[in-house]
Amino acid sequence: MIKSLLLVDDEELFHLVFEDACNILGITLSIESVNSSNEAEVMFRGWFEETNTRLRPECVFVDLNMKGSSFDGIELIRKINEEYGNNVVIGIISSSNDSEEIERAKEVGAMFWIVKTHDLEPRLESFKIDYDDYIDGNKTFTVYD
Amino acid sequence: METHILKRDCEVRDVLLDYAKDGIFLEGSLLKLVRSEPEDEEFHQYLITAKQRDIDVRRKRLKITKQIQTQNDELAKASRVRDKLTDELEEALKISQENENKALSSYKKAEEVKENALKDLEVLQKKTRFKLMSLIVRVALTIIIGVGITTTLLYAYIIASGADTTIIETTWSNLFGILITNSFSIIGTIMGVRYANDKLKDIEL
Repeated sequence: MIKSLLLVDDEELFHLVFEDACNILGITLSIESVNSSNEAEVMFRGWFEETNTRLRPECVFVDLNMKGSSFDGIELIRKINEEYGNNVVIGIISSSNDSEEIERAKEVGAMFWIVKTHDLEPRLESFKIDYDDYIDGNKTFTVYD
Repeated sequence: METHILKRDCEVRDVLLDYAKDGIFLEGSLLKLVRSEPEDEEFHQYLITAKQRDIDVRRKRLKITKQIQTQNDELAKASRVRDKLTDELEEALKISQENENKALSSYKKAEEVKENALKDLEVLQKKTRFKLMSLIVRVALTIIIGVGITTTLLYAYIIASGADTTIIETTWSNLFGILITNSFSIIGTIMGVRYANDKLKDIEL
């Protein structure tokens, strides 16, 4: 089970859907949700600059396009991986299934891409099964669509 | 993260079981971190019940949240359709307004053309009427002069032939008086016609 998970998504209603789905499936012990990539960047910068990284999440789900953010989810993943120490299982959760965007995400170090639809639970369950392989580095980039 | 066993002699376990009698159960993340002793069936059942209740509550909430999400999506879709229709309507209204302006402009031009045509027609009618009057006057004057000359020649012939001139004298005198009167009247008419023609030329210019 994932110890702590961070969801970066501008849709607050989806926060509730995601949290409940994760709890029902027993995916994580704790979830924190933020509305923009800027907020997430500030958090990661803090964890990177401070020595206390206890609150740093194990896994991050990032939406692709977020209102009120100055950069998209893929750019956030690049920043986390290149500027703020990496060391998280990070990927995109988006309603988009655009192959160019998926390729872009892969290039910056995203580990997975989950297509956000009404029926999210089966995808999250598949992700839960694969999670340990992501931690061990045995899993290549996967699209859950 | 490691889970923790709440032993039988743990006060927290007893408190939790006591709360459960009132229908109050542990829920959320903490529930995932607590275990019972293998032989503690009562607390084991408590944890199973609490987890099931937690899942049931979350399932219910998830169902409602998804319904709201679907409704929101439909509303957003309807809003996009409405916005599109509004844009199309505004565009159609704009085109209609432009067409109306063009039609109004064309109507004004047509009205102007019509007015000019009516003016031209009136001028043409007047011109034709004055030409006709002029012709009538000229013909009448020619007839009068012709009658005058004929009567005078007849009178001169009768005088020269030595016949009785009493009747022709009176006739010639009366006729000549009438002819002169009419001639002046006709000359006046001609002058009037010419004046009117000059005016028409001014209007045409």
